[in-house]
Amino acid sequence: MYLTPSEEKAVSGEYGAPLQMAYRVLLALGRLSEAKRLIPIKWAHISGVSYLTIGDYGLDFLQRISKLKGTKFKVFTTVNPCGMDIERWDSLGVSSEYAEKQLQIIGAYQKLGIASSFTCVPFQSFKVPPKGTHVCWAESSAAIYANSVLDLRTNRESAVSALASALTGKTVYSDLHIEENRKPKVAIRVSVSKKQLSGSVDFGVLGYFAGKNTKDVVEFQGIRTRRPIEESKALCAALGTVGSAGMFTVGRTKGIETIDFSDKDYISIFEEISNSDTGEAIVFGCPQMTIEELYQLSKNLDGRKLEKRCFVFCSSKIYDLAKTRGYVDAIVKAGATFVRDACADFTPIISSLNIDSVITDSVKGAHYMKSVHGVKAALVNTKEILSKNLK
Amino acid sequence: MNQGYNILGNKSKIKQIRLRPIVETSKDIRGQILFSSQPIAFLQGVDPERGIITQNKHDLFQSPVAGKILVFPNAVGSSVGAYVIYRLRMNRVAPKAMVNQRADIITASGCAIGGIPLFDMPADSIDVLRNVVMGRIEAKESLLTFGLDLANDDRGE
Repeated sequence: MYLTPSEEKAVSGEYGAPLQMAYRVLLALGRLSEAKRLIPIKWAHISGVSYLTIGDYGLDFLQRISKLKGTKFKVFTTVNPCGMDIERWDSLGVSSEYAEKQLQIIGAYQKLGIASSFTCVPFQSFKVPPKGTHVCWAESSAAIYANSVLDLRTNRESAVSALASALTGKTVYSDLHIEENRKPKVAIRVSVSKKQLSGSVDFGVLGYFAGKNTKDVVEFQGIRTRRPIEESKALCAALGTVGSAGMFTVGRTKGIETIDFSDKDYISIFEEISNSDTGEAIVFGCPQMTIEELYQLSKNLDGRKLEKRCFVFCSSKIYDLAKTRGYVDAIVKAGATFVRDACADFTPIISSLNIDSVITDSVKGAHYMKSVHGVKAALVNTKEILSKNLK
Repeated sequence: MNQGYNILGNKSKIKQIRLRPIVETSKDIRGQILFSSQPIAFLQGVDPERGIITQNKHDLFQSPVAGKILVFPNAVGSSVGAYVIYRLRMNRVAPKAMVNQRADIITASGCAIGGIPLFDMPADSIDVLRNVVMGRIEAKESLLTFGLDLANDDRGE
């Protein structure tokens, strides 16, 4: 891989240990993908924030590098949700041991220089750059959304590689950064008997099916090109949960391998994910709720009360916006609990509830409820959840 | 060029392989080879405090990795494994270098942040290093020299 003279100097340590480490990461990953060079990026989004995911080893690493002299993020950097609501964790079943470690992780990231919100839907909280801009986003659902909906250029990055890009302002010029690699290699032809797929459950099931059956840029045939944001979000999240695809398109490309998505496939995926008929608590916000979703939720609650415990996950930025518009009060009045800046899946809150099952509209959420917490999930669209659980 | 060849004539058992550098080093490396044909799950499979492989049923179970040239196909499991590799280095119980069949993102990013030299050999089988005791990696050319005779060789680091 070609390095500029100043990149060479950075690798050899002339600009200090933090940049040496960061460039070593980019160089190593560039060699793995046989990339020719590095390119500048406008935005890094880093995963690996919840203490539940990175643990003591991740915390140790972040603390050490944030203490090195001169370590600072060079480009606009956002980070994934953490494991708790920073301002009110103790009332939500989070232990002080967990909270202490979580705050240390947050402190390390803040020292390095991050935007003030912990979110897996960064495109909701911050201004999206023009189409075609190269960014470096970890968090598979956000990276797939960036490529497929926002027309940005990113690979599915890891916690370490996105951190290296935040420190250097550069990423490896490979895979989905290169125009010719962004064409679909395989198609999923939607041939289910219902006229149109709609809602986050349908799109989550489709995304999960695609993730299981494809590895590369995938084209969906037979879905609308324009969709509500929550359907795209559900599709991207489920696609990123299984498999390695970093992008999808919608179209009718001829001459590529085509896989049918039939009623039978729909049912088999749905039954795999939705392994409970009902749940003891309702979880909204995997990925985190958008402002549109909070508006819909507040409207559909219609002044009534929820019959079950209900948790609503969103970023603090979106929460503040929703608060000024009155959505927050309407949702809290119905009996729901907001959890800001946290991930619905990688939080100790779920385990602390001592429940066996949840109700969710998220395929990704249902997947991790099982694998992380051993909790079953009933997969139900938001409107239906409300129609069945309001007094 | 990627085949092991004899450099010291037929009587010698010393061979050389050119490796692909992933995380490079400026110093030559000489050390005992610790070989496994099994992938390593660093998170939960390696104790970074003691530098010992703790993965059940692994053929290197209980083996210390400190100061060795650790040869294995690739890492598997959680991406948090990269931080385990870093911690091995911080605790001064890391391998001197690693050699993969084909390096993966976990091993590559872990070695990069830990500053542990990493090489792979996509064109040759790591199996040629099974039963090899000592190896020397020449930094500039990423050339791995190995063989029984090297045990009594004191060149390199």
